[in-house]
Amino acid sequence: MRYIGYLLVILITVVPSVAQQAQTYRAPRLNGHPDLNGIWQAMNTANWDLLDHPAQPGPVWQTGAIGAVPAGQSVVEGGEIPYKPEALKKKQENFAKRMTEDPEAKCYMPGIPRATYMPYPFQIVQSQRDMLFVYEYATANRLVNMGPPQKAGSDTWMGMSNGRWEGETLVIDVTGLNGLAWFDRAGDWASDRLHVVERYTRTGPDHLQYEATVEDPNVFTRPWKISMTLYRKVEKNAQILEFKCVPFAEELLYGQFKKK
Amino acid sequence: MKTSLRFIIFLAAILFALAPITMDGQTRGGAKPWTPPKTPWGDPDIQGLWPGQDMVGTPLERDRSLGTRAFLTDEEFSKRVAFAEEQQEIDTADLVSRNPRIARGGRFVTCEEDPNGCRNGVRIGPPNYWDERGKPTKQASLIMDPPDGRLPPLTPEAQKLQADRAAARKARPCATQPGGCHDSWEDESLWDRCITRGLVGSVLPNGYNTGNQIVQSPGYVVFRNEMIHEARVIPVDGRAHPNASIRTWMGSSRGHWEGSTLVVETTNFLPGIPVANTPTSDGLRVVERFTPVDPDTLTYQLTVEDPKTWTKPWTVSFPLKRSKDYAVYEYACHEGNYYMYNALSGARSEEKKK
Repeated sequence: MRYIGYLLVILITVVPSVAQQAQTYRAPRLNGHPDLNGIWQAMNTANWDLLDHPAQPGPVWQTGAIGAVPAGQSVVEGGEIPYKPEALKKKQENFAKRMTEDPEAKCYMPGIPRATYMPYPFQIVQSQRDMLFVYEYATANRLVNMGPPQKAGSDTWMGMSNGRWEGETLVIDVTGLNGLAWFDRAGDWASDRLHVVERYTRTGPDHLQYEATVEDPNVFTRPWKISMTLYRKVEKNAQILEFKCVPFAEELLYGQFKKK
Repeated sequence: MKTSLRFIIFLAAILFALAPITMDGQTRGGAKPWTPPKTPWGDPDIQGLWPGQDMVGTPLERDRSLGTRAFLTDEEFSKRVAFAEEQQEIDTADLVSRNPRIARGGRFVTCEEDPNGCRNGVRIGPPNYWDERGKPTKQASLIMDPPDGRLPPLTPEAQKLQADRAAARKARPCATQPGGCHDSWEDESLWDRCITRGLVGSVLPNGYNTGNQIVQSPGYVVFRNEMIHEARVIPVDGRAHPNASIRTWMGSSRGHWEGSTLVVETTNFLPGIPVANTPTSDGLRVVERFTPVDPDTLTYQLTVEDPKTWTKPWTVSFPLKRSKDYAVYEYACHEGNYYMYNALSGARSEEKKK
C-alpha cells in the first residue's frame, strides 16, 4: 500500500516534467536568446471572432460568399470572455455597427493583441538589442523595449511594449493602450485600462506559440487568455508587402462630405 | 590593368562618399577612417536613433547667389545663426500670444505680406513653435549635386504634364474659391490624407516628428520613420525586387553593403508620388547610401533618378546625428484626421451659403 503512495508521488512529480520536456524545443540562439526572427502569420479565424463560431454570411450580402465568415474554434481559454453585463451590451452594439465602426474597416491601427492575428503577415526584427514588430496591415509597427521597463508617455493604438526573456519565451508587457482598438470583427473590445501580457515561444523551426493574457477591470470580471499557433512563411520570396489601406477607407469615412 | 582600374573606381567611390565631410572643412585630418562595430551575424552595425531634426533649417535648394559654393562663409553663417536666434525669440513669444508673423523661407513675414497664410489678420495653420527649426549649419543646401545645389530642369515631357495639370486645376470652378478645392479627399495631399510622405519626403528633414530609427536583423535592415509610422524592411540578402506590377507608395527596397556603407536601391513606386513638390513617374528610382563616419554620425546620401521627370539625377546629402534619448512617438495621423472632415464639410457648408 505504502509503495503505491510513493509511486503516486513519483508519478505526479516526474510525469509532467517529462511531458513538458517532450514539448520543449530549444530554438536557435541570437546573442544567447531564442531567435524569433522571421515572417509569421496566424492561420485561424480569430480576427472574425475570438470565440467559437459557425460559418455565417458576411456583413455585406452584395459580395456573396466573398467576405463570408468561415467557422472557427475559440482561441479563448475556456471559450468565454468574462464581460461585465454592461460591457457585453457594448460588444453587441459594436457588432451591430461593425460595418462602419470596426477600426479595421476604417484602416485604423489594430492595437495589441489584434495585430498578431490579423489576416496579414508580420515580421519580427530581432537584433542583439532591439526588437521591432512590423505588421503588413496599415504599416503598423512597434518597438519592444528590451531595456529597463519604461512607462507609457501617453496612450496610443499600439501601446508601450516592455519585453523580457523568460528562458525560451519572449514576454511582452503592453500598457498605454488607448482603448479604441477592437479584438475582432465581432465587436469584442476593451477600455483604456487594458493590460496585455504576451508570450512568444518557439515550438519548432517554423512554429511560434502565442499567448496573451488580457485584463481590464473596467470591462472584464477577471483576466482571460487567448492562445494560438503562429506559422512561419517559408516561401523563399516571402516578404512584408505594403498594405496602406487609407485610400480603401476614404469613401467609407468621408463619402458623406464629398461634393455631389 | 583591370585591377588598377577597379582600384581607381574604388578610390573615387571613397572620395565621393567622403566629399561632404571634407568639403565641410572639418576633415579629421590624418585620422583613421572609422570602422563601425559588427552585429553578431557580421554586418556593420548602424542601429540606433538617427533623427533628422538638426538639418530642418537647411534648405533643399541652394540660394542662386551662392552658385556652386556648397558651404557658407563665416559671415553668411553668422547671419543664419542670427536668424535662428530671432526665430527662437518669436517661437517663444508665440507660446504666450499667437503672433501673426509667419516664418517662411528664411525670414518672417506679416499677414499683410502673406495674406494666404492668414485669415482676418490671424495666422492659420500651426503656430510657429510647432515646427522643428534645426541647428544652423554651414551646408548651403541639402542638394549637393548638381553642383549648383538646385533641382535639375524638368524634361519637356514633365513640363507639359505640369502645365496640363495646372491648367486643369485652374479650369475647375472651385479654383477661385478662397482656400482652393476641397471637393473630395483626392484634392488633399498624400500627407494630409495620412497615407505617406513618400520615401524621399519621409527622410528629408521637415517640420516635426522627424525621428528615424535603424534596426537590423540577419539579412535585413529596417529604416523606421516616425512620420506616418513607416517601417521600410530592406532585405540585404541579394534577393530580387518583386515583379514590377507590384507598385507601392514606399517602393521596393533592396540593400547591400559596400564596406561599411549600406547602399539601398528602391524601385516599383506608384506613379504620381510628389518628390520636391513634383509628381514623379513610374520610372522613379532612388539610391540611398548610409555611411557611418564616426560613432555618432551617419552620412546620408539620396539620389533621385526619374528620367521621365528630371533631365538628370540629383543627390541630397547630409549628416544624421545619433540621439540617445529621442522619443519616437506613435504618429496616429489617419486615426485622428479631423482635418479631412473639417476641410470637406467646411467646403460643403460654404457652398450651401451661396
